[in-house]
Amino acid sequence: MSKTQKKVLKKILFYFVLAVIVVYLLFPFYWAVNSSLKSQAQLSMTPATLIPRDPDTGEISIFTRNYFAIFKNGQFLRGLVNSSIVATSTTILSLIVGSFAAFALGKLRFRGKEPALYVILAMTMFPQVTVLSGLYAVINALNLSARFSMIFTYMLFTLPFTTWVLTSFFRDLPKEIMQSAQVDGATPFQTFHMILLPLTAPALVTTGLLAFIQAWNEYLFALTFTSIDPSARTVPVAIQYFSGEFARQEPFGEIMAAAVVVTIPIVVLVLIFQKRIVAGLTAGAVKG
Amino acid sequence: MAKKAMSELAKEEQKLAIKLLIPTFIILLVIALYPLGQVFYTSFTNRTFAGTGTTEFVGLDNYQKLLAFSIEELPPVVDEETGKVKIDEETGEKVFQSPIQVLPRQPELHRPVYTFNFFGSKYVVGAVTPDFIRAVFNTIIFTVFSVLIETILGLGVALVVNSEFKGRGMMRAVMLVPWAVITVVSAKMWQWMFQPTRAGLFNMLLDKFGIGTGNFSFLTNPSLQMPAIIAVDVWKTTPFMALLLLAGLQLIPQELYEAAEVDGASKIRQFFTITLPLLKPSVAVALIFRTLDSLRVFDVFQVLLAQKRYSMASFNYFQLISARQMGMASAIGVIIFILIFFFALAYMKALGVDTE
Amino acid sequence: MRKYLLLVLALVLVVSFTAVGFAQDKTEITVAAGSVGKELELTQKAAQMYMEENPDVKVNVLSTPDLANDRLGLYLQFLEAKSPKVDVYQVDVIWPGDLAQHFIDLNEYGAEKVADNHFQEIVQNNTVNGRLVAIPWFTDAGLLYYRTDLLEKYDRKVPETWSELQETAKYIMEEERAAGNPDFYGYVWQGNAYEGLTCDALEWVFSNGGGTIVSPDKKITINNEKAIEAIDMAAGWVGDISPTGVTGMGEEDARKMWEAGNALFMRNWPYAYTLGNADTSQIKGKFDVAPLPAGDSGSSAATLGGWNLSVSKYSEHPEAAADFALFLASEKVQKMRAIEGSFNPTIKSLYQDEEVLEAVPFFGKLYEVFTNAVARPSTATAPKYNQASEIFFQGVHSVLTGESDATTAVQYMELDLKDLLGYETGEPRQP
Repeated sequence: MSKTQKKVLKKILFYFVLAVIVVYLLFPFYWAVNSSLKSQAQLSMTPATLIPRDPDTGEISIFTRNYFAIFKNGQFLRGLVNSSIVATSTTILSLIVGSFAAFALGKLRFRGKEPALYVILAMTMFPQVTVLSGLYAVINALNLSARFSMIFTYMLFTLPFTTWVLTSFFRDLPKEIMQSAQVDGATPFQTFHMILLPLTAPALVTTGLLAFIQAWNEYLFALTFTSIDPSARTVPVAIQYFSGEFARQEPFGEIMAAAVVVTIPIVVLVLIFQKRIVAGLTAGAVKG
Repeated sequence: MAKKAMSELAKEEQKLAIKLLIPTFIILLVIALYPLGQVFYTSFTNRTFAGTGTTEFVGLDNYQKLLAFSIEELPPVVDEETGKVKIDEETGEKVFQSPIQVLPRQPELHRPVYTFNFFGSKYVVGAVTPDFIRAVFNTIIFTVFSVLIETILGLGVALVVNSEFKGRGMMRAVMLVPWAVITVVSAKMWQWMFQPTRAGLFNMLLDKFGIGTGNFSFLTNPSLQMPAIIAVDVWKTTPFMALLLLAGLQLIPQELYEAAEVDGASKIRQFFTITLPLLKPSVAVALIFRTLDSLRVFDVFQVLLAQKRYSMASFNYFQLISARQMGMASAIGVIIFILIFFFALAYMKALGVDTE
Repeated sequence: MRKYLLLVLALVLVVSFTAVGFAQDKTEITVAAGSVGKELELTQKAAQMYMEENPDVKVNVLSTPDLANDRLGLYLQFLEAKSPKVDVYQVDVIWPGDLAQHFIDLNEYGAEKVADNHFQEIVQNNTVNGRLVAIPWFTDAGLLYYRTDLLEKYDRKVPETWSELQETAKYIMEEERAAGNPDFYGYVWQGNAYEGLTCDALEWVFSNGGGTIVSPDKKITINNEKAIEAIDMAAGWVGDISPTGVTGMGEEDARKMWEAGNALFMRNWPYAYTLGNADTSQIKGKFDVAPLPAGDSGSSAATLGGWNLSVSKYSEHPEAAADFALFLASEKVQKMRAIEGSFNPTIKSLYQDEEVLEAVPFFGKLYEVFTNAVARPSTATAPKYNQASEIFFQGVHSVLTGESDATTAVQYMELDLKDLLGYETGEPRQP
C-alpha cells in the first residue's frame, strides 16, 4: 500500500471511530428529543418510532405542546434560576477553597499531608442517604435558608473532588517553577496566585465543569432542603414535581422536554469554556 | 547563610499551608462533623426514623444482623419406606430438602441467599438480612464492571478528542452531553428505552433485527438487570472519565512525542512508554473518584430497579424511609464507609500514588 | 488573597440577598397536599373557601411530591424534626397505622359527629388504639377495566371469576394477535416489587378466600391453601396472558399499555377512567369498568386506597388545623372535588347525590365496590406495616418471576411475619 493510501485509510478509520463515539454519546439524547416531541399516545406506540409519527396514519406528526407546557410552568423556570445560582456558587467556592488546599497539599512542605488528604477524601465515602437526616438537623439548627443549605452541603462532595484533582495537578508542576519564582523574590502565595494558578487552568476548568454538573444534577438533598420552601427548588426537584392532571400520572413527554431544555445551556457553557481546556498546552513549554 | 534562609522558608511554608487549609477544614467540620458523628452513634442504637418510642443502645446488634450468615448442607430427602434417596422423576436428579427446613431459626431467622452444588452435595448460604448481602455483591459487581468499561471507553474518547481535527471544539461539547443530562431524568429516559414491549427502543431495535420477539424485560430478568444498569451508568459517566483523562493528556508536553517520532518509535510504542506512565496520576485520581461514586451508587438503582434489586445505598434508603430502621440504616452507612475506605487504600497502594 | 476573599464575600451577599427576596410570609396553617394539577388546584380552592369563612386564618398549601416514597420521606423528615411548619398532612391510607403517634386524636376535636358519614372500613382503618388519627378525604379501590368493543366483537361477557378472565383473555389475545396486532396482551396489572403489588395480590388472595395476610385481630393468616392457590394462579399469567415485563409494571406502565389499545383487561385505580376517555386516548369510549373477578370465596375483592387528612401533634394551632381538616373532609368540599376533579368521596350519601352522578356517571357502579373494599392490614401490623408489606410483596414477586414456588414463599412469609411482629398464626378472614 502506498503512503497516501495508508494515510487515507487511517483518516477514514479515525472518522469512523469518531462517528461511533458520537452515536454512542448522543443517541440516547436524540431519543429524549424524539420523545419530547411526542404525545402520550405516540409514546405508547408499538413499535416505537424513530421520528414522531401519528399512531393512526403513520405520517410524521410533531407534538410541540410539551415544550409549551414546561415553559408555562413557573416552577420549572424558577428551578432553572435556582439551579444556576446554587451550582455556580458551589463551583466557585469549591474551586477557590480547593485550590488553596491543593496548593498546600501539592507544593508546600509540612507534616501531616497524608492524613489531611485522607480526612478530606473520607467525606465522600458516605452515601448521601446516610448523612441526609443528620444534615437536615444541622440545617434546621443553624436555620439556614434552602439555597444556602444546598450550597454548603454540596461542598461535601465537590470540595474533596476539586481538592484531590487539583492537588495532583499542582504536584505535577515542575519544582523548578517554584524555585525560580522564589529566586526572583516572590512569596509562596504570590507564586501560587500569579504563576501556578494560570498554569493549571485546564485542570481548573475541567474540575469546575465537572463539579458544576455534579451540583446541577443533585436531587436527594435538594428535595429535602427545599421541601418547605418551594420557591427555592432546583431543576431536578422541579422536574420530579411535574405531573399531569391527575395523581400518579407521569407526563413522560414533558419530562423529556425539560431534560432537553436543561441540557442545552450546559452544552453552550462547555462550548464557551472548551477553548480554556486547550490552553494548558503552554504548560509544556516550561520544561527545560 | 543558605541554610538559615531554607529553614525560615520552610517555616513560612508551613504557616501558609495551615492558613490555606483552614477554610477547607472549617467547611468540612461544620457540614460533616455532626451528621457523620450521628451516623456512627445511631448505628449502635435501635432508633426508628420519626419514631416516638425510646431509643436503646444495642451495641453491635445491627451489625450482627446485617452481616450474620451461615452455610448449611442440604441433605437429600430420604424416602421413608424404602430408605433410599428420592429421585425427581422429571430431571432424574436427587431431591434435596429445601432451605427453609435446614437454615437456623434461633436466635435469628436465616433466609436463603444462594444455593450451590459442590461435589454432588448441595449447600445453601443463608443470612439474617439476605437483601443486604445481595446488595453488597450487586454493588461490587456493578463497580468493577462499570469502572473498567468507563475507563477504557473514557481513555479512547480522550485520545480521539485530543488529536487535531476539524470540529474538535464541538466534539468536546458533545462529549459532555451524557454527563450533563440530569441523573434522575436520564434514568427515566433509559427506563423508557428498556420498556418490555415494542414501545421501548431496545425491544423495537432487536425486533427489527430479528432477535427475540420484542418482549425482553431488561429490568425484571435477573440476568439482564445488571448489564442494563451498567450500560446506563457507563453511558452517563464515560464523559467524566474522558474529560479528566483529556486534561491529563494535555499536560503531557508535545516535545516528548516529537522526540520519540524522531527516534523512530511507533504510535503504539509511544502510547505505552510516554502516554500511559505520564497519565498515571490523572488515571489514579479519576479511578478513585469513579470507584467511590460507584460504590455509593444510588440514583440508577433507585429509579430503575427500586426494590427488585438493591445496591448498598438504595437498600440503605429503603431501610430508612420504608422500614424506618434508622439504627440499621446507619450501620449500613458505616459498613459502606469502611468498604470504600479499604478500596481507596488499596487503590493508593496499587497505583503507587504517593502523597509526598 | 484579598481578591479571593472579596469574591467569596460578594457571593455570600448575592445568595443571601436572593434568599431574603424570596423569603416566605408567616402563615397560620400549612397543609401538605399533592402537587398534581387538579388535586392542587382544588385544595387551593377549598383553602380559599375556608379563608373566606374564617377571615382570621391564613391557609398555606404546600405541594409535596407525588411519588409515595418521596412524599413519605419528606413527611418523616418533618416528623423526625418535630417540625411545627406543617399542620395538616395528607396521608395515604396505609400511613395512619405507622405514624399514629405523631397525630392528634380528631375525635377530641369534633370528628365524632361526622365519622359515621364516611365509609366505615376507612374509619376503622384510621382508628389506632381507639384514637381517630385521620379523617377520610378521598378514596380509591381496584377496578377491572375491560374493552367493550372487543368483548362484543368476540361475543364474550364480562368475567366474574378469575378462571373466566383467564379463558376470555387467552382466547381474545390469540385472535387479536392472529389478526395482526403482535403487541396485544390479555391482562395488564401491577406486578412490580412495590406497594402496588401488595394491593393487587391482596385482591387475588382475599377473593379466593385466603384472608388478608394479617387479620384485624392480629393473627398471621397468610399461610393457607387458598392464598397459595391464588398466587400460583397469578404467576401463571406472567408470560401467558400478561407480558413477562408485568413484573416490572406499575400503575402508569399498565395504563399506558392499556390506553394504546394493547390490552383487553386492566386492573387499575379509578383515575384511569377519566384519562382513558381523553381525546388523545386510543380507546376513548371503547371501555368500561366492573368489579374485579371473584375467586373461591364467591365475592370480588378490591383493595382500599385513597387519602386521608391528619393533624400534626407538633402543630402550634391544633384547633384551627383540626377545624380546617374537618372542613376539607366535609360533604360540601368532597362534593366539589367529586364534580370538578372526579375524586371519589368517602361520604356515603354523595354516591346517591344527583349532581355528582350527573358529572361522574360511573361513580354509581363504584358504590358497591367501595363499601366492600378490603383494607390492607396496616392498622393490624402498626407500626411496622411497611416492613410487613415488603415481606408480602417481595415473596409474591419472587413467585411471579419464577424464582420461588408459592408454597415455600408463603411459608417464609409466615416465618418472617412472625419474626417481625411476634403474632401467632390464625384463620384467614373471609369477605
